[in-house]
Formats: sequence, structure tokens, C-alpha cells
Amino acid sequence: MQIKDFMKQITEASGVSGYEGGVRELVRTELAAYSDEVRTDTLGSLIALKRGQRPDDVPQRSIMLAGHMDEIGLLVTKLEKGYLRFSTVGGFDLRVLLGQEVIVHGRRDFPGVIGTRPPHVLGPEDRDQVVPLDRLFIDVGLTEVELGKNIRVGDIVSLRREFTELAGGLVAGKAFDDRAAVACIDQCLQYLAGLRHTWDVYAVATVQEETGLKGALTSAFGIDPDIGVAIDVGHGNMLGVSEVDTVNVGGGPAIGFGPNIHPALYEQLTATASRYEISHQIDPIPGASGTDAWAMQVVREGIPTALISIPLRYMHTTVETISLKDIERIGRLLALFIAGLTEESAEQLGLAQQSSAT
Amino acid sequence: MKELIAELTETWGPSGNEDAVRKVIEKSITGHADEVRVDALGNLIVLKKGNVKKGVDKRRIMLAAHMDEIGVIVSHVDEKGFLRFSAIGGVFPPTLLGSRVQFGDGKIGVIGRERVVKPDEAPRMDKMFIDVGSPDKGHVGRRVGDAACFTRPFVDLGQRLVAKAFDDRIGCAVLVQTLLGLKTTPHDVYFVFTTQEEVGVRGATTSAFGVEPEIAVAVDVTLTGDTPEAPTMAVALGAGPAIKVKDRGMLAHVGVKNWMVSTAERLKLPYQFEVLDAGSTDGMAIQTSRAGVATGVLSIPTRYVHSPSEMVDYDDVRHSVELLLGMLSSPVSL
Repeated sequence: MQIKDFMKQITEASGVSGYEGGVRELVRTELAAYSDEVRTDTLGSLIALKRGQRPDDVPQRSIMLAGHMDEIGLLVTKLEKGYLRFSTVGGFDLRVLLGQEVIVHGRRDFPGVIGTRPPHVLGPEDRDQVVPLDRLFIDVGLTEVELGKNIRVGDIVSLRREFTELAGGLVAGKAFDDRAAVACIDQCLQYLAGLRHTWDVYAVATVQEETGLKGALTSAFGIDPDIGVAIDVGHGNMLGVSEVDTVNVGGGPAIGFGPNIHPALYEQLTATASRYEISHQIDPIPGASGTDAWAMQVVREGIPTALISIPLRYMHTTVETISLKDIERIGRLLALFIAGLTEESAEQLGLAQQSSAT
Repeated sequence: MKELIAELTETWGPSGNEDAVRKVIEKSITGHADEVRVDALGNLIVLKKGNVKKGVDKRRIMLAAHMDEIGVIVSHVDEKGFLRFSAIGGVFPPTLLGSRVQFGDGKIGVIGRERVVKPDEAPRMDKMFIDVGSPDKGHVGRRVGDAACFTRPFVDLGQRLVAKAFDDRIGCAVLVQTLLGLKTTPHDVYFVFTTQEEVGVRGATTSAFGVEPEIAVAVDVTLTGDTPEAPTMAVALGAGPAIKVKDRGMLAHVGVKNWMVSTAERLKLPYQFEVLDAGSTDGMAIQTSRAGVATGVLSIPTRYVHSPSEMVDYDDVRHSVELLLGMLSSPVSL
């Protein structure tokens, strides 16, 4: 599928952390077209395997690509006089919740709105403040009695937002964090169809990243890959934020560097980008990256891990903004990198030698 | 069951010192288990083997309840024999004032507080000390590193029960009672009594790795929203076992959650859903063990958690046992 069409499809779908079923089926259909087998693991991560083609004298190696398909959301904590009180799943920005349209996943899906008291009835102190969570509520329009029959405590609520094309090749919408990475992985598999590679590729759409990197941790344990690459979003340049803290939207893959990233893997990725003249940027990450890469790195005996960030503006809002060109470039970079993986690359990464017996 | 609950809650067992609790549990399950072992971190792992049943998938199920309780640990002994201390687990300083603590050898200390400068000052643990009644340092009989926990007798109020350490001895009692009541099961069920939950779900982390379950249910306490001016929370004492949807550390596996709901509905047991904004349980560690475990949590609604007077409803406790028995006696499809 074309990047734009796939992005529209998966970002408009619901898939709050722990409840990724809806978006997973869309991803499954797409990745199945470019891989040899697809499975779902216990926690719900979708794992697509594209086997490498290797001569008998080359040992079996594998790379895991991880992009998380879950999105931040809300859940019902209490039914109160016909309204719903709620809490957050993942780190929602309370400043942007007010006035959002939502879908409450009750006995069926109910459209709803997030309301609060209007400015006219607020005192001067309240008017200048971010509305705290306990002053917000969801209104789905049902009477108190009907609400009780259709919605229960613990029901999941997702945000509703249409995918929008901006000018200049940019697009905006919800859940780009991190479904844009799933689109990158899809692009990578599409490119790989036309390339020869010896390493097996596990393309993984992970779950529950926003609630503690859980899907990456468990899927990496199950797959036990030689190396891992996480793809996640990084803060893009925007008005009012220092250049030091951002990467450029439209500037290409932001290749992470720091303790979470294996230095040789970083070198190999940047060398690949330079060799194929893929515009890219360096993204220094001094400590915990807060991404699937952080979890993958310490699975089992340790996995050499890299992180590629997609420059994105307005993170954790429903108007996250990226450049489609960056997705295409990341997909191409990953594919060319994979196609170039050899036993020599493994040696540079300090991986244990393997016999070629299969 | 109340006798077991009384004995379990009155037993001494701050995190890392669960031996006495483990002995009580071992004694109470004698003759009901196929295998009993203790792992390196002190977890008690009790296996009830399943009977092969035609057409039923045998599952490897782990139930977990933690044996340890919160407490304090001596960090300094001064010249006069007063003990400074720090917390083991989430101790809320105001609950310490006026409390007595007990050491492993049964000796008691009372908690005192430095001179209060501002009357409305929040009590801080570093301004408190333990007084063991010693006339001088030479007779203290305590050393840096000695652990202590609240001491308070179990009280039966009829419908409601009060004790220290319901978190999570009530979970231990529910597991024991479930094992005693489980005549046959098609599954291999591991009843795991874990250690060091209060200091970071340590015992559950290693026991889950060792047991390697497919499905897990942690049994622990949860907070309620049914007391005056309580934070918004739709959990109440006496409204049935609480089936966890989410807490600070995990989202319950939807399949396990639904398994609990459908069993409760089939047995016509009351239940409520739980969304907890603070705290977590052994479930969060089990969930991410190895390649992932389908994990849910059965919570016993409890008031005044982490105080010396925690309160539960006896019907909630009994219904929790019935719910687990119903779940374990039947085939599971998640």
C-alpha cells in the first residue's frame, strides 16, 4: 500500500495500549503481503517474518525492527449523573484534552465529547489554569439510566481525529506516535522485496509501549534476534522550541546516538545513509531513550540496539505532524542497511560466531 | 477461614523476612499439594497438578499473592539507645505516629517524634525514632539493619475484618483456601506465595521466570473510593471481588479479564471493575516475564491500605475464593 493510504488507514483506527486489536488487523493484512509468515504473541505484538536468502555456508542471523502500534488514550473510571469520569492510559497532555471528540468503546462504540465548565461560569483563578483531570468529563449524550446499561468502569476511550494532508508533503493526525514507524517498517519490507538479503527480518508492531515498553520487552525475548532497531518519533522543529532539542521535519531519519545505541550499529547505519545519499540527521540521546530500544537492549544476554527517530511536531496531541518523505527515507535506509548485513557486520558488533550448520 | 486470616495477618514478615509467613502457609496446605518448593528468593511454589480431561486444553496457570508486608529498618542507633529508621516499602509517615513496631525476635518498640516546631507540619520519617525502652545504648539489643513491622491484633467486626498486613496476607489466605477447596482441575496450577513485592515485585519476577506460566492471576488488595471525601474511584467494600482493568504498572490482559467476568456471571457472584491510579501488583512483573504472560489481577477491596488497620469485607474474601475455584475448575479459552 502507498505510504499515505496506509498512514490514513492505521492512524484513524483505534488501538489504545492493551487494546490494539483493531489496528493490529489492519497492520497484519498489510505486512502479510510482504513477508513469509505473520503471528501474534501473548501480549499482542504482531510479528512478521521475512526470511533471508542465504547460501548454506552462511549462518542464520536475524534483525528485529520494532515500531509500536499502541496509542495513548483514556479509560472510564466512574459513571456520574449521566457523565463519564476518566483517567489516562499513557502520558496524555491535559492541556489538549478539552474539547476533543472521542469514541467510548462500551457495549458498542459511542461517539462522545470531552466537556468542562465554560469560561463564563469560572472564577478568574480557574480561567487561567489548565483544567485538571478531575474537572473533565465525557458526554456521550445518553441518559443516566441508558449510560449505566451501555458503558462500564474500565471501558476504553480513544481519541477521534481524521488524517489531514497539509501542504508541502506534511500530514497531521493522531497516533502518528508510533504508527508512522509501522509505516516505515512497511516501507522497508516493500523495498526489501526488490533486494537480496541474507539475514532474517522480524518486522514487529509492538504493543503497550506507552505503558512501559512491554511489547518490545516480551517480543524481543521471544524472537531472540541478533540485533534490534527501534523506530519511534522524535521532537521535530517547531516555533518556541530550541533547535538543540529538536530534529528537522523533512530532514530525513534522525539516527540516535548514546548509551542506548550500540556504537558500531550507529556507524553502520550512518555509513549506509551516506553511501546511498539518504539525507539524515544525528540525534544525540544522553540516557534513557524512553523507546522500545531501551527495553530491547537488555533482553536476555543483551541485544545490540539502534534507534531511528521520525521527526514529529506536537507529540501526544491529536495533531501530530510529520513529513511523508521522512517515512519513505527511513524505510529505504532500513532496507538498504538490512541488504548490506553480513558476517562481517556481525563481527563488528561483537556477536558470537555461529556455525553455518542449519 | 477467619482463623487462618487471623494467624496470617498477625505473623511477622517485612519484605526480605518472609520465613515465618511461609511456615504458616506450608503448614496450612499440608496434604493438598503435588509439589512444594522454595526458590532462591524465598518464594513458596506449590503445584496442584491437573487431571487430563479429554477435549480440554491443559493450561499452566500461576496464581500469585505476596507474603511480605511493609515495615521499617534500623539505620542508626544513638548514644541514648534511640533508633533511627527508614522504610521498607511504601510506609506513609502519619500512620507511624502512635504505632508500635515489632522486631523479628518479638520485641516491641514505640515510635516517637522530635519536638514539633510548627503545629501543622506534616510528620516526616527522618524526624521520628523508635524507642525500645532501653535505659542506654548498651541494653538496646538492636543493630543497624534490624527490620520491624507494625504490630496490631486481628479484629473480627463480623462482616468487616481489620488487621495489619491484609496487604497481602488476605491474598495468601484466598490462595490457601482456593487450594484446599480445589478438588480437581484440568490445569497445572501453581500457587505462588511471593516475596519482596513491596520493594519492587522482586519475588514475582523470579518465580514467574522459573514457573514459566501461560496464564497468571495475581491476587492482591486494591484501594476503595467509598470513604468520606475519598479520591474518585468506583470500588467499594462489599461490592464483590474487583477485577482489575488497569493500575499504575499494568493493563490487565483482556482475555484474562473476560475469563474472570464470565466466570463471575456464570456463578452469579458480585464483581466490580477496578481502575487504580496508584500502585501495582505482582501482576506487572509476571506479565513481562520471558516472552510475555497473559496476566490479570483479582483485587480484594481494602480500606486504609498500608496503615496498621486495613479493613476488608468478609463476603468479598469468600467470593474471591469462589471466583478462583470457578475459574480453575473449567477449561480456559482466552
